[in-house]
Amino acid sequence: MLLLEIKESIKIAFESMKSAKLRSGLASLGVVIGISFVIIMGWILAGLDKAVEDTFNIIGKDMLYVDKWDWAGGKNWKEVQARKNITYEQALRFKELIRSAEVVVPNARYWGGTVKYAGETYSGISIEGVTYEYAKTPMGNIERGRFFSEFEDRNGENVCVIGSIPAARIFPDSNGIGKTIKINGRNFLIVGQITKQGTMMLDFVDNVIYFPMKSFFSTFGYTNRSFTICVKAGSISAMDEVRAETEGVMRTVRNIPPGKENDFSINESQAFEKSFVTIRAAVWGIGIGMTFLSFLVGMIGIMNIMFVSVTERTKEIGIRKAVGAKKRSILYQFLVEAAVLCMIGAITSFVFCSVLVYLVATYLPQWNDSINFLSPVIPLNLLIIATIVSIIVGVLAGLIPAMRAANLDPIEALRYE
Amino acid sequence: MKENDLLIEIEHISKVYDIGSEKVFALRDVSLKIHRNEYVAIMGPSGSGKSTLMNIIGCLDTPTSGKYDFEGVDVSSLTDNELAEIRNRKIGFVFQTFNLLARATALKNVELPLIYAGISRNERIERAKKALSDVGLEDRMSHKPNELSGGQRQRVAIARALITNPSIILADEPTGNLDTKTGEDIMRLFAELWKAGNTIILVTHEEDIARHAHRIIRIRDGLIEKEVQNPNPIYL
Ligand SMILES: Nc1ncnc2c1ncn2[C@@H]1O[C@H](COP(=O)(O)OP(=O)(O)OP(=O)(O)O)[C@@H](O)[C@H]1O
Ligand SMILES: [Mg+2]
Repeated sequence: MLLLEIKESIKIAFESMKSAKLRSGLASLGVVIGISFVIIMGWILAGLDKAVEDTFNIIGKDMLYVDKWDWAGGKNWKEVQARKNITYEQALRFKELIRSAEVVVPNARYWGGTVKYAGETYSGISIEGVTYEYAKTPMGNIERGRFFSEFEDRNGENVCVIGSIPAARIFPDSNGIGKTIKINGRNFLIVGQITKQGTMMLDFVDNVIYFPMKSFFSTFGYTNRSFTICVKAGSISAMDEVRAETEGVMRTVRNIPPGKENDFSINESQAFEKSFVTIRAAVWGIGIGMTFLSFLVGMIGIMNIMFVSVTERTKEIGIRKAVGAKKRSILYQFLVEAAVLCMIGAITSFVFCSVLVYLVATYLPQWNDSINFLSPVIPLNLLIIATIVSIIVGVLAGLIPAMRAANLDPIEALRYE
Repeated sequence: MKENDLLIEIEHISKVYDIGSEKVFALRDVSLKIHRNEYVAIMGPSGSGKSTLMNIIGCLDTPTSGKYDFEGVDVSSLTDNELAEIRNRKIGFVFQTFNLLARATALKNVELPLIYAGISRNERIERAKKALSDVGLEDRMSHKPNELSGGQRQRVAIARALITNPSIILADEPTGNLDTKTGEDIMRLFAELWKAGNTIILVTHEEDIARHAHRIIRIRDGLIEKEVQNPNPIYL
């Protein structure tokens, strides 16, 4: 009975919209914009979530980075700057003492290295000294060739592994494996290339060249720099234990008396979550604000057209009531009409957004390849949410006009010309 | 006539419209009984309250005071929904201005009451086709009102009134918008309906039309002036 009435109402709704195409189209425009905002926002957030997930994977969910610097930036900056450097000896001592970690790699970084190849100079590349075991951490993931070996590491041979950004800059059409490049005046043989892993948030991780620690020392000198100690726990469940031991061992190595604060930071992927939460909240804020606004406009549009529709069809309402339509039936008829209007708006925006999302996700990475986290299709749950929202908006917008229609006096309605 | 054949019993009803400054007495004090299978004409000058009375009888409107029993049920005690149900199942309206849905075909118009009666689509179409054939419009089912003549439109309206097998057919000046010849055709149709067992109340201000009925009620200024039996209704 109810189903039958709703089915009839849907038919009536389509018939009445057919007779006022332009007006219906304009009225649902606001809804189209509103739904499009919902979809685009959700899509961007899904992309951001993926970017963050990717970032966590690069940094490594089971990795700790012991550093003079605090990555999250939560500490007093002056205090952090006043910390003593973490020396190479401390790093080696740490490696010696720690039991629970799977891999420990000291890392020395020289920002702004210069590379020469075939007469061209490339600057602004991060040159890092690490050990062969770096290959076991997420950032040492090899795409082609190999990481330098334990033997090459120990002997400080002039070999290097190149990140995807310098690889693309120096060897745009070929890969550089087997080629020799000049880093700060010394020749290095490229033996491998690191998998591209950066995203928008952390694209500097690809702008790097790794070579053995000994080579680093002979190229850039030994003193006056702070090392990062990369600690791989081996599994996420081991993190708590490894973190605790890392802290204890570092305090021993750095000779910190009990009761005094750490003069080092233990960084991990979670550190980035905080800055990400801010971005996410900003996108949400803007998105929800604009969505709300456009839905408001959309609702007013739908409400307006529904009022016009009710007035235009006063006589029809009178006829329907005279032959036995209950208030409820008339109410449904107009609510369904409003909901159908909104759903047509929703479908229009699905089509529009699908095309937009596909184009952006396809062509944006070609322009800037660090924006590679956007999906080319709209996630299904977003479509479901958008559909439900559009029906709710339609019903809300149609409620007052539909109630006015339902409460019309049948005789007055019949007399209306 | 047996008392259980009593269909409509109206006792001292009035209808007052309060339009701000003054009160309009559309009906002052009307009492009336109508039995099953009667054919009654209501006559009276313009503004005498004929349509008001019809609307009350048809449960489209409620009286200001007085008592109205329809098939033994006190109508004043009914909810809006129950009134709608009575209009749907027990009453068939025929209006002077036809009151068809302009955008719907004849078939769809005739189907309309059955939609609100919750009848399935197939049965609806079948019954609507039958009703249209009964009024001689089997070849006009898919026409819209503006593709039909006045007489044909009124036949569609009559088919719509008949579709739910109502207890009573209320026709408010059904020939008012038709020429004499077409009007007579419609009156012939009403006579057939009466013969088939229907109860009919007809509002008119034409003596010729009223002569089809068995009983003629004359009202003036919201009061029943007189009631006469018509010993030889025409066409019968
Ligand atoms: N909604 C209303 N508000 C105020 N007065 C009304 C209303 N409806 C009807 N009336 C008044 O009630 C009286 C009776 O009206 P009604 O329509 O019943 O007359 P009628 O006999 O059908 O006349 P006609 O032959 O012209 O159709 C008239 O004086 C009319 O002006
Ligand atoms: Mg009248």
